[in-house]
Amino acid sequence: MRTFMPTVTTCVSLLLLTIVGAQANDSDFFEKKIRPVLVERCYKCHSEQSEGVKGGLLLDSRDATQRGGDSGAAVVPGDVEASLLIGALRYESFEMPPDGKLPAAVIADFETWIKAGAHDPRDTPTGETKSAEIDWDEARRFWAFQLPEPKPVPKDLPSNAIRRPLDAFVASRLHKSQLAPNPEATRRVLIRRVTLDLTGLPPSPEEVESFVSDESPDAYERVVDGLLASPQYGTRWSRPWLDIARFAEDQAHIVGNNTSLCYPNAYLYRDWVINAFNEDLPYDHFVRQQLAADLIDPKDKANHVALGFIGLGPKYYRRGDIEVMAEEWEDRVDTVARGLLGLTVACARCHDHKYDPIPTEDYYALAGVFASTEMFNRPLNEKAERDKDGEAKKPEEAIHIIRDAKPQDLNVFIRGDVKKKGEVAKRRFPQVLCSAESLSLAFENGSGRLELADSIATRDNPLTARVIVNRVWGQLFGKPLVGTPSNFGSLGERPTHPELLDDLAVRFMDSDWSLKWLQREIVLSATYRQSSDIDTAKQVVDPANTLLWRMNRRRLSVEAWRDSLLSVGDQLTLELGGPSIDPQDPDQRRRTAYSRVSRLELDALLALFDFPDPNTHSPKRNDTTTPLQKLFVLNSPFMLRQAESFAKRVTATASQDSERVNVAYQIAFGRAPDGDELEIGMMFLDGCDTADQLARWTQYAQILLASNEMLMVD
Amino acid sequence: MLNRRQMLQQAGAGFGMLGMAGALSSLQAGEAASTVPHVTPKAKRVIFLFMNGAPSHVDTLDPKPALAKYEGSQPSGELYRKINGTGYMPSPFKFRAHGESGVVMSELLPNLAKHADDLCVLRSMHTNVPNHEPGLLIMNSGNQQPIRPSLGSWCSYGLGTENENLPGFVVLCPGLPVVGPQLWSSSFLPGQHQGMSVDTNDMQVDKLVANLNHPNLSRAQQQRQLEFLGKLNRLHREQRQGEAALDAQIRAMELAFNMQREASETFDISREPAHVRDMYGPTTFGQSCLLARRLCENGVRFVQVYYVSKNEKQPWDTHSDNNRKHRDLCADSDRATAALLTDLKARGMLEETLVVWGGEFGRTPYAQLDKKQDYTKAGRDHHHTGFSMFMAGGGVRGGLMYGNTDEFGMDAIENRIHVHDLHATILHQLGIDHQRLTYRYSGRDFRLTDVHGEVVRGIIS
Repeated sequence: MRTFMPTVTTCVSLLLLTIVGAQANDSDFFEKKIRPVLVERCYKCHSEQSEGVKGGLLLDSRDATQRGGDSGAAVVPGDVEASLLIGALRYESFEMPPDGKLPAAVIADFETWIKAGAHDPRDTPTGETKSAEIDWDEARRFWAFQLPEPKPVPKDLPSNAIRRPLDAFVASRLHKSQLAPNPEATRRVLIRRVTLDLTGLPPSPEEVESFVSDESPDAYERVVDGLLASPQYGTRWSRPWLDIARFAEDQAHIVGNNTSLCYPNAYLYRDWVINAFNEDLPYDHFVRQQLAADLIDPKDKANHVALGFIGLGPKYYRRGDIEVMAEEWEDRVDTVARGLLGLTVACARCHDHKYDPIPTEDYYALAGVFASTEMFNRPLNEKAERDKDGEAKKPEEAIHIIRDAKPQDLNVFIRGDVKKKGEVAKRRFPQVLCSAESLSLAFENGSGRLELADSIATRDNPLTARVIVNRVWGQLFGKPLVGTPSNFGSLGERPTHPELLDDLAVRFMDSDWSLKWLQREIVLSATYRQSSDIDTAKQVVDPANTLLWRMNRRRLSVEAWRDSLLSVGDQLTLELGGPSIDPQDPDQRRRTAYSRVSRLELDALLALFDFPDPNTHSPKRNDTTTPLQKLFVLNSPFMLRQAESFAKRVTATASQDSERVNVAYQIAFGRAPDGDELEIGMMFLDGCDTADQLARWTQYAQILLASNEMLMVD
Repeated sequence: MLNRRQMLQQAGAGFGMLGMAGALSSLQAGEAASTVPHVTPKAKRVIFLFMNGAPSHVDTLDPKPALAKYEGSQPSGELYRKINGTGYMPSPFKFRAHGESGVVMSELLPNLAKHADDLCVLRSMHTNVPNHEPGLLIMNSGNQQPIRPSLGSWCSYGLGTENENLPGFVVLCPGLPVVGPQLWSSSFLPGQHQGMSVDTNDMQVDKLVANLNHPNLSRAQQQRQLEFLGKLNRLHREQRQGEAALDAQIRAMELAFNMQREASETFDISREPAHVRDMYGPTTFGQSCLLARRLCENGVRFVQVYYVSKNEKQPWDTHSDNNRKHRDLCADSDRATAALLTDLKARGMLEETLVVWGGEFGRTPYAQLDKKQDYTKAGRDHHHTGFSMFMAGGGVRGGLMYGNTDEFGMDAIENRIHVHDLHATILHQLGIDHQRLTYRYSGRDFRLTDVHGEVVRGIIS
């Protein structure tokens, strides 16, 4: 009989990864080759979890395996022939597993393993290790669990590459590899890059010309400060955060015309985020508000929309069932842990984390906070119709947030099975992130959400600042310093520039957790201002640009790309906030960040261009290139409308075709066309088989909009 | 400058002249699994006919004479919800053995009966829950919550594309099932493995595929436009040495141009002779099955056809009037499915095409009555502990009835097949070891079958 274990995650298959060079006498070999087979093919009848252990044989710990069952020692380290297990696998003595002989290669792995001494790290059965057995002092020595500290800035480096402290860290690494950074990008490239990065919009031709001709030493700084002060800044930066928050305005399952799972006012949360960015709300407050605004200031109701961070999360079908609620709690734990801490705590739902020091009880200690919190349709205003519990009856009169429910500590569900209750896990913070003094502190105030928020948004937490600094870096360079931005654990990547990350994280906190400070610090750096040109000699040394000898050339996000198209045709409206829009509607002139986000059916344009599935937290976006994307570019009503608007703008500005080509390039790319571009453009226009001025120019305009230059930023 | 001129002249030849599939197959290769095949593939593609709402196994593929003998008796075992009816309800449909193999099927499937020797009937399916949402999700993604890539996406990821000019995974769906697009989501897999959903209510090509053609430019005009674009992009590229991502963009544009023509042809079932169209039946489902064949013929890896309509999200969900509804539904599905098998066979494609037929679970062997308690209009409720599906082609054994439920059709008891096992088997037929097709996300490696699933060796030929 199969047990019903809905989300026993595929940790086992992780172990199936081929690790080249794994030695038969190390844990890798055991983890890759031996454990998965034992777990999948033997544990059913030979582990402490088995319903009836067969032959008195347990194979789920080292001691039990070597002790053996009724017939004798299953494994004798070093002696293949004396190990009964091998005879059974070969179908010589017993025939195990009974439902089919294992492949010869797998049996050979077992032989190799035993020959090499049967290295077996399993001290206790089936991963039921108690957290007491984790060596916490040792665990906390891992880089990500050490508090970031200010680092001495490397000295004696070529001064032309140093504008900001972060440059010294980069230059020092480059220097060691005998690489020099690229020279600064041209002003035209630079203003397009920084304007798109900070506001998600291309610079106007006037802005470009003004910057290019500005010879004052602080010209660039003034541009940057202007961009950071623009209200469009908040609109642009809201989106990466909303990806993290898996923001959406409905649920994945909506039956018939039932609108109870649609949240027509969800946009208020999105607008709260935009506003928070524009106001430069310190990041620690930003986090605290989204987790516990209601507990921080119960009277400040307007601010409670921030709770949409949790409140607009997924609700699954059959919420009356504990199994289903257990899955929702996992979503909350996962979003908070990966999103804010870069920790894959949800891995520990069914068993202790195999790689990070996160025992199962730590998972349930966090899940308990969300089990003590409930979704709440708060009436939008006085007029809203209410039910007996004070909730708004109609979705359009509600904001969907959270509130405290009856506090409860969860039992550990053994192997994630809600029917098998283990010990009670008191609500508290993951132990590896606690100091010795705070370790015993359970959350006791209501659900514990505020205490959770305080444990995250503090200098005492080694991860919070690093994780957000890394995400911002990733947005500005196209590649974060830690390549797995939502996993800072042992299976995550290590930072390419650990000192830089720590130094920035510390100074970010010193600057009152100001995101604008952080972004300013980064975009003013020489590292950011480099050209993106590929130098073949440098590429040979560092093909992935890990050391940052150049800026990465990047593709625009779907938001920045669509906004650029609207902007070029002078169609974009810049008003802030408000109900969501359909981004494919040719008449829709609002920024893409205001697109309606649906869990049930994500807008096809967004989905086509790598907008993430809002059903779960998204660590970073994919970057796919497909012909279907180009069909949109070639034929969609939206695209054709923008081409026509652009054509109208260009033909109205100048009367000669050559002049118009020039204008078109200034508007679209902030530069003049070169001789070839002008020539082939004129050839195209002259050869068009239509006399209609607008039709001709619309064809031309569409091609500029469809070009790679429009899509990429140098 | 001379070189640049030459380059521009050469670049003009870029559109409309390329032999696509072979030359440009590297476009998406980086994003597909690189180690496949793990085992010798038997099938190259899959057509999954999804009877949305869950068909009744005891009325179609799993005869249970005991239901007549014990009519009205209370069902055995643990029930998931209180029974609102009179107990066991026999099927009014006659069952008979067909073909040389003697596969037993009900009179509701007369055309499929002629293919009995090609059918591999799975009578021992079971799944986790008897509710549509989680049931649909687990059947289509291996997980009950909407957070994992779909079966078709995994197949597309595992196999890569056979035809660059068409998507690898297409979903024909004349209406939205409950749950909807999550059933063909690529979730955390790269976006090109997302099922392309096609509303087959209107079979006109430009209605089927969004943005397939320019509304007013002729192909020649557009070709000229794209040659111009190619020149601009190459000039841009020339100034950006070593930036391979730009080549991918240029290639994608060329592919899109070719896709316009190829998809216009492939999606156009009006190109089929009348007798072929007739064979499938005049219904949306029938014509969708025909389209599925055309797509497969042109290199699409995974086609799913949902039996669903604009007005009815789950037609097979026969809580009332089970018998009449099954008669109608089966008439349509039987004709279309049999036609598909006939057609695939005639074209020599059946051997390499795995056809799968079934729903998210089965229906209760006992009756479900509404308030009026009218037994002549009795329905059957959701049932997940035992149900039937069938496969054909793609290296599975034809003429086989595999597994059994108990004498009432309540529980799968012999050679039980869980959905994960079904998935493992589908992947296996495609040459993929379900334990080795993994994708790293969120700090661990995910797979379609999670930690479950065993290939059902007994049904493989």
